[in-house]
Amino acid sequence: MKPKLKIVSSQKGAPAARAILEVEGLSKGFATNTNGAGRILVLNDVGLTVRKGEMICIVGRSGCGKSTLLNILAGFLSPDRGCVRLGGRPVDRPAPDRCVVFQEDALFPWLTVRENIAFGLKVRAMSRQEKEREVDRFLALVGLTEFGSYLPAEISGGMKQRVALARVLILQPEVLLMDEPFAALDAQTREEMQDLLLHLWAKLAHSIVFVTHDVGEAVLLADRVLLFEKAPGRVKEEIAIDLPRPREKDTERYYALCRAITSQMKRA
Amino acid sequence: MKRLYDSGAWAHRALGGLLPALLLLLWLTAAETGMVAPYLLPHPKDVLATAASYVFGHGGQAGFAGRFMDDFTASITRVMLGFGLAVLVGLPLGILSGRLALANRLLGTTINALRAVPGISWLPLALVWFGIGLKTTVFLVALAAFFPIYLNAEAGARQVNPTLLRAGAMMGVRRLRGTFAILLPAAMPNIITGLRLGLGISWAYLVLGELTGVHNGLGAVIMDARMLGRIDVIMVGIIFIAVIGRLCDVGLHHMLRFAFKSARRLP
Repeated sequence: MKPKLKIVSSQKGAPAARAILEVEGLSKGFATNTNGAGRILVLNDVGLTVRKGEMICIVGRSGCGKSTLLNILAGFLSPDRGCVRLGGRPVDRPAPDRCVVFQEDALFPWLTVRENIAFGLKVRAMSRQEKEREVDRFLALVGLTEFGSYLPAEISGGMKQRVALARVLILQPEVLLMDEPFAALDAQTREEMQDLLLHLWAKLAHSIVFVTHDVGEAVLLADRVLLFEKAPGRVKEEIAIDLPRPREKDTERYYALCRAITSQMKRA
Repeated sequence: MKRLYDSGAWAHRALGGLLPALLLLLWLTAAETGMVAPYLLPHPKDVLATAASYVFGHGGQAGFAGRFMDDFTASITRVMLGFGLAVLVGLPLGILSGRLALANRLLGTTINALRAVPGISWLPLALVWFGIGLKTTVFLVALAAFFPIYLNAEAGARQVNPTLLRAGAMMGVRRLRGTFAILLPAAMPNIITGLRLGLGISWAYLVLGELTGVHNGLGAVIMDARMLGRIDVIMVGIIFIAVIGRLCDVGLHHMLRFAFKSARRLP
């Protein structure tokens, strides 16, 4: 049986009522040589909306501009045209209301797991005990209570990403931006991390923008999948994933959705 | 740190003393067998006696007996002043050049041109400017130590993983705090290298500064001894500089490790 794919036009956008993150007409080009003579367009008129508590996955082949989009959302890059609004306010610089979990290991190697998680709290007006308690809570949430005093060099890749997750969740961002965070992990660890993310998401109810090139991962995690087109990058298709949660990977519906998106992706 | 007490670790540490021990043995053999004349290479026990007299002031000939504390104090003061000045100027400028293309453009050409000038060429100029003594030596030491400190700080700051800076920015760290909380710790391995090279070269230029007729200092002792043909005193001076230089290096390393997490937790 063919699965029913809900294809929503990316141009119209979702109703802005409960939208937390809005992106409109975003374009970004890069100079191909240093004097700025040649430019290539990486993002062309990208628009999307993330609702409160929603998880969207941006899927596309490498080089389609999905990381550039995430960097703009985070405020690391500024767009040539268009705008990003978080809760109605324009976004123009990095801030703890939009935190990133990077693909690569981005922990501070001279700080212990505990100190890494506590890093962003330093500037907050909280008592020492309050901070310690928060760090304990998030260490426990990512299952690293025993490893607080370890240095990043002493723990595994999966554990590092748990720390990376904890150090941003502790800041209670309005939107969590994830840039292929599990791509460098082995298959088993990746599944553990996906479960952990879903568990934390159910508990803390963040809005999440998750970038991946792994269609299976997107179908497992997302409420909506945005399929990115390459060169210049833009949203080609928006697919609502209506699988009930908790989701099983080993089902006909799951595979059907994966197949459908993969074939769309090949045409992209 | 339990491992330090393992016999293996001790053997490992003792390895550093192997080469000096071999050199001493070679020296002893050469002196005992008379292969080398004493006026070229005095016997180790004579050098030891001279060293004892130099430090404690009894026996030996007048002129050098008991001078050590005075010389040592004078030299270490000059080194510390010069090195401190180099750190004070070199470290901030290096970090700045590593992060800001504009600063690098502004400073890079000049600094790299001056770097090509051998330190000894500055000596006559320094003598004219500052006269004989403390100021000239401190100037030479500061000038020489500046370059490795600046260059390594610059390289360290430039090579900092940009993702670490982005991570800091998204966690709400502003520029100034980011410099101390992220940039400096991340550049620490290079900074340490620069400081150690700088301190090492400080001792070299100290002697250069003291060769010009200052009345005290470890370099002055060597120069005085040369005038009087006291090769044993020259050797004592060389050995003392080597030992003190090494101790300073170890001291610097320990101090940095004590003061900074990022130095303590180097991979």
